[in-house]
Amino acid sequence: MNQKRDNKTLPVRSIFFLLSLLFLVLLVADLLLGSVIVPLKHIFISVFPTAETNETFRTIILDFRLPKAITAILTGAALSVSGLQMQTVFRNPLAGPFVLGISAGASLGVALFVLGFSSVVAFGVVSVSGAWPLAIVAWIGSFLVMLLVLYVSTRVNDIMTILILGILFTSAVSAIVSILQYFSSESMLKAFIIWTMGSLGSVTNAQLSVMAPAILLGILLALFKIKDLNAFLLGENYARSLGVKIISSRIVIFLSTSLLAGTITAFCGPIGFIGIAVPHICRVIFKTSDHLVLVPAVILTGGIVMLFSDIVSQLPGMQTTLPINSVTAIIGIPVIMWMIIKNKKFVSVS
Amino acid sequence: MNNPGFNIELKNLSVGYELPGGGPLEILKSINFSASPGEMVALIGSNGIGKSTLLRTLVGFQNYFSGSIQLNGKELRTIGSREIAWVMSFVSTENIRVANMTVFDLVAYGRFPYTNWIGRLTSDDRQKVADAIKKVGLTGFENRQTIQLSDGERQRAMIARALAQDTPVIILDEPTAFLDVSNKYEIFHLLQVLSKEKGKTVILSTHDLNIALREVDKLWIVTEEGNFQGAPEDAVLNGWLNQLFKNENIGFDLKEGEYFFKKKFREKVKVEGEGLSLIWTLRALNRLGYQIVMKAEPDFKVTAGEKSWTFQKGNATEKFNSIYELLMFLEK
Repeated sequence: MNQKRDNKTLPVRSIFFLLSLLFLVLLVADLLLGSVIVPLKHIFISVFPTAETNETFRTIILDFRLPKAITAILTGAALSVSGLQMQTVFRNPLAGPFVLGISAGASLGVALFVLGFSSVVAFGVVSVSGAWPLAIVAWIGSFLVMLLVLYVSTRVNDIMTILILGILFTSAVSAIVSILQYFSSESMLKAFIIWTMGSLGSVTNAQLSVMAPAILLGILLALFKIKDLNAFLLGENYARSLGVKIISSRIVIFLSTSLLAGTITAFCGPIGFIGIAVPHICRVIFKTSDHLVLVPAVILTGGIVMLFSDIVSQLPGMQTTLPINSVTAIIGIPVIMWMIIKNKKFVSVS
Repeated sequence: MNNPGFNIELKNLSVGYELPGGGPLEILKSINFSASPGEMVALIGSNGIGKSTLLRTLVGFQNYFSGSIQLNGKELRTIGSREIAWVMSFVSTENIRVANMTVFDLVAYGRFPYTNWIGRLTSDDRQKVADAIKKVGLTGFENRQTIQLSDGERQRAMIARALAQDTPVIILDEPTAFLDVSNKYEIFHLLQVLSKEKGKTVILSTHDLNIALREVDKLWIVTEEGNFQGAPEDAVLNGWLNQLFKNENIGFDLKEGEYFFKKKFREKVKVEGEGLSLIWTLRALNRLGYQIVMKAEPDFKVTAGEKSWTFQKGNATEKFNSIYELLMFLEK
């Protein structure tokens, strides 16, 4: 639990301060860098227009880079918080935001829409840039899975059963998606594959106005459950004997995770690695198991990691971008491997 | 919150699990047990008889089918989960291994039912945590990582956590499993002191009968034939300890107050000697299954001296410097 002794409080605060600085630096860098390098002063005068404001830069910053940076931050924060919740509730260091089958549900929605429905009805290529339809079907998919998970979690007492059901469900869905891929046309297949690669840039300001409140609500729910999350570290038996209402607490946590992971998957595609890795990175940095520290820590660190991934993926100075999903994996996996080997005992959750 | 202690009464209780089909699977039935403040109670019974199920029911983890569990006259199932956490604390057999959790952090979990929504500890909470750590003798271990503790230290930390919860009732599921003998005694002694000093009702399940017989105030015995509650000595005199195990080869030595494994006797031996050397030589021969005789004609004789042992059979004699050498010779 939160142990406020002077020798421990000070490092935690200073780590938060350093991370915040890093966060701001990366945010500015993310706005500056890209196919066109925007001079530093134009960032500020674009946000707060003056006579000097250059309209091109202003459009680049406000309509493209700022939404993308905000999307990156929200994505990092949301996936990290839901990953932390799942690792704690399942007491399993390999759990991530998608263990409940949330992203599988979203994939199924998108696959049915892009590969199934569109091929059958044949009303032409689904526009991948206009992401609203994709986001909506993905959201519906993950929402349905969430209802299923919540129903199961009120009926099943053993948390491990839920974990196994989630894994089985994910496998079943990927089998269905494979069948759909097998029977679909090349162009449809490409549209679907591109969706699975993930994208931060396709989120428009209008979509952001839906996405941001959903993410904030999910994070708010997580903050309300900080105390219960701490209790779950000792396992459900001890949590119960400490007075935690297991089922209702579990429902709120699952709701939060579904909202966070489902929304991100709907708008940006299934982005891997972040949700599993960031909580581990924070446990190593902060050396604590207290969620009062860990939840804010993963929000900040998740934002940092995604901003960095975004900067790398847009290959500063070049006209093309890399799929964000590959970038998070390539830069992240070596980091997490190194941490696991170096700090075995601090990485394990339980 | 130092409540004066709680009376626990189990009346005609029947516990078990819901079967997937919906019907109940009764594991234990017609249980009539009670425990009073300041009493330390040991629940004993063979493996698989349902001790853990009974304890889990007692702390409210699972429902009971019929009968009643009353805490100071109030039915358990009518008490909310938070109120139960103020009355009863629980130590399970689960091995808690959480990275980055210090002993202080772990014990501070005991304050969980009293803290605010983010779990902030007040100075009063900190004091209670520190007191609990001191009580179990872990002072100086506050900043030690829980994953670095030995089994005995971890069990003490878990008991400290239950102490910090400051409940009139503490329930422990096999608190002395996996511990060495001195740690087993220390844990029993610690719990005994807690029940007497603070008037807490301590209920534990255990397989360490020899220690339980010497340390606890009351036994709750569950067997397939029926249940018994009362002082350990009553249990012995009424023959309940012989019934505990269905195994014919296990007997209970009424004089020693210990269980022993019945063996088929081999040759007869007569042993001469004095003092401790004699006692332990007898024990060693008994362990190997020799029948000790006093008046009957023995197959061989052993004389136990202070530092030497003599074997005599007919005209043959052998001398040994340790019991081990003697036994090696006999086993050849």
